[in-house]
Amino acid sequence: MGSVYRLTLRQLSGRWRLLIMTVLASLPVIIAVLMLRSPDAPSVREFETAILGAMLAGSIAPLVVLAIAAAAMGNEVEDRTLANLTLAPIPRWQIAVPKLLAVVTIAAPFMALSAFLTSWVAYIGDVQASIAVTVSAVVGVALYAAAFVWLGLVSTQAIGLGLLYIVLWEGFFSGFVSGVRALSIRHYAIALMHGLDERRFAFGSHLSLTVAIIMSVLVFGGFLLSSVRRLRRMDIP
Amino acid sequence: MTLQQIPRLPLASLGVARDDNANGAAAPVIRVDGVSRWFGSVVAVSDVTFEIGPGITGLLGPNGAGKTTLLRMMTGLAATSRGSVTVFGEPVRDNPPLYRRIGVMSEHETVYGFMKGREFVEMMGRLRGVADLERAVDRAIDLVDLADAQHRPMDTYSRGMRQRMRLAGTLVHDPELLILDEPLNGADPRQRVHFKRLLLELAAEGRTIVLSSHILEEVEQLADTVLLIVNGKLAASGGFRAIRAALNQRPYHVRVICDAPRKLAAEVVRLPSVDAVNVDPDGAIVVLSRNVQDLQIELPRLAQSAQISLRRVEPLDDSLESVFGYLVEQ
Repeated sequence: MGSVYRLTLRQLSGRWRLLIMTVLASLPVIIAVLMLRSPDAPSVREFETAILGAMLAGSIAPLVVLAIAAAAMGNEVEDRTLANLTLAPIPRWQIAVPKLLAVVTIAAPFMALSAFLTSWVAYIGDVQASIAVTVSAVVGVALYAAAFVWLGLVSTQAIGLGLLYIVLWEGFFSGFVSGVRALSIRHYAIALMHGLDERRFAFGSHLSLTVAIIMSVLVFGGFLLSSVRRLRRMDIP
Repeated sequence: MTLQQIPRLPLASLGVARDDNANGAAAPVIRVDGVSRWFGSVVAVSDVTFEIGPGITGLLGPNGAGKTTLLRMMTGLAATSRGSVTVFGEPVRDNPPLYRRIGVMSEHETVYGFMKGREFVEMMGRLRGVADLERAVDRAIDLVDLADAQHRPMDTYSRGMRQRMRLAGTLVHDPELLILDEPLNGADPRQRVHFKRLLLELAAEGRTIVLSSHILEEVEQLADTVLLIVNGKLAASGGFRAIRAALNQRPYHVRVICDAPRKLAAEVVRLPSVDAVNVDPDGAIVVLSRNVQDLQIELPRLAQSAQISLRRVEPLDDSLESVFGYLVEQ
């Protein structure tokens, strides 16, 4: 597994990709600072809804992950190097798991730092709040990574489809249709923030922590298994 | 460097055993049984059946004939729509352990440009569970004669060098079966010579090598057995001569040089094995025959009885190129 993991780290550590991730991950921090410094500073509720819920968990995290996860398998399919791995005498899960781990390894530090700084600034050094936001961001990264790695395997249009998913599903439907929340990674992250620090998102309705944890496990495991299954059954270009 | 100069990893060290059936006769290494593959309404491969044993087998056909699709099914990279492919007696599809015994080089330049050549071969060896990795990598790189360039990134290589380093990655685990799709693409003449010699040496060690090519001369020079694929079907198989025999309905052009061409032409045209005769401006006779076996017997007899001295009798189209062209026309 180590060879696939190291290979994927090198493949995904391109300068432009890291630059895009840096810019994206910086946005919540910058906007949080600007918002808090403005004369009409937002309420906690407004901050959590707009910055933590919509921006960090619903937009920035999936975008950062999409930038690399779709390429983890997608680029190998496109440039036909995936055959180097699938023609090796290793089970398919030993390809899918290290690919996913490499994506998380690269994306998680960016999002963890972004989430920590954003909440540290907004909650004025509240450690518990910052940890709750950071942990939920990392969990969100892992879940989005599992989904987008699979997407890169099943479609050559993974970036486009991923953007549609982020905008329509996570951004639009999950915000207005309550039943969709049970199928929204963004809302698992929000529920986790609340579960780790009950002062956070202490308003409105959100998923229970138990449902969020169960669904997170199912989503992560489901997409990972789907990737393994896809690797076993697809025609490798 | 040749194989004789390089210490080989014994196949037994990789846990590899030869497949023999109960009678002690070698079982086919690859068995393709009634295989078809279609993409929507397009049939790429249609009901192809053959077996491949040790030695070099050439898969020959024009572009789009279905060679690559067939090779991909033989390697397990692609599924069959119908039929089965077994390698060493096992289904090749979704059977990763089998790849310990198989080396595959696709026609595409499947390299990672950011990697140094040696890193690539090391990675391929590591993925294939090679025990003595350093030694295996040294050997594989020496085989393809790229020791001097092994520490350079592969995106600085020429196409031919990338092909050779890919071959090193294919050979690093010392596979019994090599499946190579258009392996000579991009190689310069010197590299081609080296490559051909290497393949012949690998085959002489008892390996099974399947290679596809549309360069007929190369297949003719390398392959013991030829599989001709035309329009997704197996048009002919066997040794080159066997294919020719199977195509006995095909007209042959035979050039005859003698001391009395017009006289011989007048006699030869009466032979039942001859369809047509032309006398070239240079005085040579070109005989068109659909039964070259009979012509081989009748022509000397005729010349002797007519007291004509034959100086040279040579086939004009005794090459895969002409056989191939004929098959494609059919």
